[in-house]
Parts: sequence; C-alpha cells; structure tokens
Amino acid sequence: MENILEVKNLSKKYKDFELKNVGFKLPKGMIMGFIGENGAGKTTTIKSILNIIGNYKGEIKIFNFDNKKDENMIKEDIGVVLDDIFFPEILLPRDINTIMKDIYKNWDSDLYFKYLTDFNLPKNKQIKTFSKGMRKKLEIATALAHHPKLLILDEPTSGLDPIARNEVIDIFQDFIQNDECSILLSSHITTDLEHIADYITFINNGEIILSKTRDELIEKYGIAKCTESEFKKVDPKDFVKYKKTKYEYELLVENKKDFNKKYNIDTIDKITLEDLMVLMVKGEK
Amino acid sequence: MEIIISNSSGVPIYEQIKEQIKVKIISNELKTGELLPSIRTLAKDLRCSVITTKNAYEELVNEGYVETIPSKGFYVAKINLNVAREEQLNKIENLLDMAVNIAKTNNITKNTITEILNILYEEEK
Amino acid sequence: MLGLIKKDFLMIKGNLKVWLILLFIYIFMAFQGEMNLTFLLPFMCVVTMLSTFSYDSFNKWDAYAITLPDGRKNSVKAKYISTLLLVFVTIVIISILTIAIGYNRSKTINFRDIGETIFGAVFATTLLQSIMYPVIYKYGVDKARIVIFTGAFGLAIIGSLLSKYVKVEYLIQKLTFLNDYMAIILPIIIVIMIYVSYKISSIIYKKKEY
Repeated sequence: MENILEVKNLSKKYKDFELKNVGFKLPKGMIMGFIGENGAGKTTTIKSILNIIGNYKGEIKIFNFDNKKDENMIKEDIGVVLDDIFFPEILLPRDINTIMKDIYKNWDSDLYFKYLTDFNLPKNKQIKTFSKGMRKKLEIATALAHHPKLLILDEPTSGLDPIARNEVIDIFQDFIQNDECSILLSSHITTDLEHIADYITFINNGEIILSKTRDELIEKYGIAKCTESEFKKVDPKDFVKYKKTKYEYELLVENKKDFNKKYNIDTIDKITLEDLMVLMVKGEK
Repeated sequence: MEIIISNSSGVPIYEQIKEQIKVKIISNELKTGELLPSIRTLAKDLRCSVITTKNAYEELVNEGYVETIPSKGFYVAKINLNVAREEQLNKIENLLDMAVNIAKTNNITKNTITEILNILYEEEK
Repeated sequence: MLGLIKKDFLMIKGNLKVWLILLFIYIFMAFQGEMNLTFLLPFMCVVTMLSTFSYDSFNKWDAYAITLPDGRKNSVKAKYISTLLLVFVTIVIISILTIAIGYNRSKTINFRDIGETIFGAVFATTLLQSIMYPVIYKYGVDKARIVIFTGAFGLAIIGSLLSKYVKVEYLIQKLTFLNDYMAIILPIIIVIMIYVSYKISSIIYKKKEY
C-alpha cells in the first residue's frame, strides 16, 4: 500500500522536552489517530511535518516528496487545522475566501460557502465574535475547501459539543470516501477516534510507543483482571503493563484470546483507547 | 441493507459485520450477483474504520460468500447452499456439544435436555 | 502573494472606522490651521501596520502562513509590499488634502513646499518601519514596541548630547550643498533602507520557530 505520509527518525531537542526517533507511516485512504497526553509531543510532531518547526533531525515524506525540498508543491494538497493558529480574528469568513482564492490553485469558493452554510456560520461577522466551536468549524471549512489530499488536524474536535463533533467526524469520513485522501488527526478525546480511525499511533514523552491498526488494538488487546496469586503465576512477557488497584490486578495484554487460553483467566475486558492510554502511561512493568 | 453493530459486545466489529452479511446471503436476502456497498461507504454508514469493513469483506471472500472484481467492488457470490448449511450445522453441533458436556458434568439427563429443546423450539414460533 | 497582500488590506478595512474618525479629526484640526497634515503620514502608516502585526501575532498567523503554498517565501514580502502600498495611498490622500487646505488658506499652491514636506514624511515613515519590522519579526510586536520607544528615546538623548558638544549649525552649513541633490539622494536611501530591512526580516522569519 502506498504511503501518503512517512515520518522517519524525527528527533528534536528542547530544553525540557525531546522528540526521540519518532516514526510512523500513514497509507493512502486511511485515517490515523495520533494520541497521547498533553505535552507528549503531538503538536511538535505535527509542526515538524508541516515544517513550521525546522531544524529537526530525521526525514519526513509527504506524497513521497521531501517536506522541505518540495514544500510549496506539497502544501497545495494539504489542509490543516492547528490548535490556536489561524487567520487574524479581525477578518470575516468572507475575507478568507477572497484571500485563499489567490493562494490555492484549487480553492473552491462554492464548497467553502457550502460548508459555512452547513455549519451555520455567518459570512459577514468578524471571527472574534465567534464561539470556540464556531471557530473550529470555520478552521475545518477552510482546511477542506481546496480539495486537499492530506488533512493534518491538531485537536480538531476540542471545544466542540458532542453534536458538532458528530457532524465533523461525518465530514472526515466523507473526506476519505475518495481513497486517495488521508487524515492525520491528533486528539486527546479518544472516543472520537476509537471507531473511525484505521490506525492508532500513540506518543508518550516524545516517543512513539505504539502504531497499529485499530482492529489490532481494540479487538485484540484486553485488560485481564486477576488476583494477586494469579498475577504471580503470569510470565511478565505475557503482559505489556499492569496496575494494582485496591482489589485486583489489571493487566494490559496484547492478545486476549491467547492469554485466556494460557492462563485460564476469564475476566478479560475489551479495551478502550482511554484505558490503553492510562495503562500505558501510568501502568508498571 | 441493515447491519446492527454493538460497540459494547465482546465480538469484534469486523466479525459482527461479517456474520450479519453472511446470514443475509444464506437467507437469500442478499441475492447472488448483488453489489455490496463499497468498503468506504459501509465504513461511513456504520461509523467504523475502513480497515474494519475491509477485514470483514476479505474474510467473506475467503469463505466464498463474496466475490471481488478489482476496481469494481464486492459482489455476492453464488454459494453452495449445502456447504453453507453444513457450516451452520457444524456450529449447532459445537454449541450442543457444549450443552451436553455441561449436562453430563452436572448429571442432567438427556430427557431433560430434549425437553428444554422442545420448549425453546415452541417459543421460537 | 496577492492573497497575502489582500489579507493586510482586509484587516485594515476591519479597522476602517477608527481610521476614518482619526482622519476626520486631523482634517478638522488642519483646516483650523492647528496642525500640519503631513504628520498624519507616518502616524497612520506606522500605527495601522503595527495593528496588523498585533492581530497577526495574536492568532499566530505567521505559523499558519507557513502551512500555505508559498507562504514561507511570500509572507514577509507581502508585508513590505502592503506597507509600501499603504504609504502610497496615504501620500495620495494627504497630497490632495494638503493642496486643498493650502489653497483654502492662501489661494495659492506651493508645490515645492508640499513636495518637500511629504518627501520628508515618507523618509521618516520608511525609516521607522525599516527599523521596526526586523525587530517585530525577531521579538514580536509587544517587545518591538518597547524596543522602538526606548530606541527613539535613546536617539533623542544622544542627539541632544551631540548638539551640546558638536557645532550643529556648522555641520548643517557644511551639508547644505546636499540640498540640491536631495531629490535624488533621499529616494535612493529609502530604497536601500527598505531592501536591507526586508532582507534582514526574511532571514529572521526563515529561522524562526513557532
């Protein structure tokens, strides 16, 4: 399968934080959920991909082109929503159309205004009068209106109420109906991603600790719950992390079925991304 | 086409999709040669990931229920109803086997089990 | 590029009300003979452009611009071109007004005088902006404001100290021969200043991380 985005050995040092050899691949036609705690390195990675942050080590390829050498060409086909980074709020949504017409070759004014209508956004009001949710929707409309092939979205659903989140997720799924298009979507609201993301990439403390298909994770991983005596019999190789609660041991296991067969422990819960994140970050080994 | 997905059941979503389509094919609700929704449309409609629907379709292809014509889509295959029936019978046998095992370990007689079976059959009607 | 220039002017349009009110106050005062209108030029251009910088930085526009095709290359260039366009528009407005006011006062028009004062004002404006922009790109608008004001203050002190020890009148006398060439020298200085400033800003922008 062809990759639309490839990140290899991305490293970047700051005083108090470091990206360490971040790498993942996003195939064509897929949605990748990029999850992790606040401050884990999601935004730094995304900004490096977009070359907003330069000066990093490693290689980033978009549509099989180098993101620095072929920057201008690549950016014709990327749509972005970034946290807190947008047009000056003194402008009106109508102004964005006037400006973008001259910036993107493929800017589609009709599509842009259609999104504004669908999202119930006024055309002639300054952005500064918008609520946080309205602003996010405007950012999404702007990101989509030049028919991009790759959407890079940093926390696109934060600040949206559940109904608006649903609308937006529908739009993202519509977007990948064309199997040439992919989405990289970072979020700490994992429920958004649990169902629709094809790949889940999990970053923690500047390192990628997991990058798998959704089905491999959600359908195979599980949380086994057992007593202390049972826990002592389990080979540490057979679980990823564990957490001791007051009444039981919770074990994150890679394959529910195999674990169940081997140890005959029946209480193995289906995993949610939230459980996964919590156990990966807070669990012990 | 109706497919009902439960996110809370322990059954993997691709398996739920696969099983429900299979039932529709066996019951002839989906007819031989009928075009199935594309992987992407189905993913969108069911609000699940594309890889999930793809897995479901691939397994259906492997099991012979669905045929794929590259760059056209997935079609209901001409299935041998006997084979399909055989498979369902196998399933029933396995489940009954479990029931019989439980019965034997608990000293429950064959008669009691047939009774239960009869009652269940009546209820179904 | 055109899009980015349009963006600056649409932002100015967003503040048009404030702009027009100030303009009317100035015109009123000028007609009363209280004020020389040429002051308006540096004032309007600098303040207006500074406010576009403020709005830009508030929403981290410079980072967003990099995500657009040609954004990195053009966003500094667009800012300089917008500035020059604004200066030009303001020159036109002020020339017309000054001529009108002059005629209203004395029924004669002294084109040479008007030309000289406007030339001076353009020089002051572009000088200020040429220094300001690299500082803004390097340190942000808020810090740049401080830098610029302390800079201007410092210059004033140095100037006054110099005038104590250096015979200014003597210097001016020596330099009067330049007067005849001012019409050529000033534009050249202005162009060089803007170009150097633009180059410095571009380098700063390229290296900046958001």
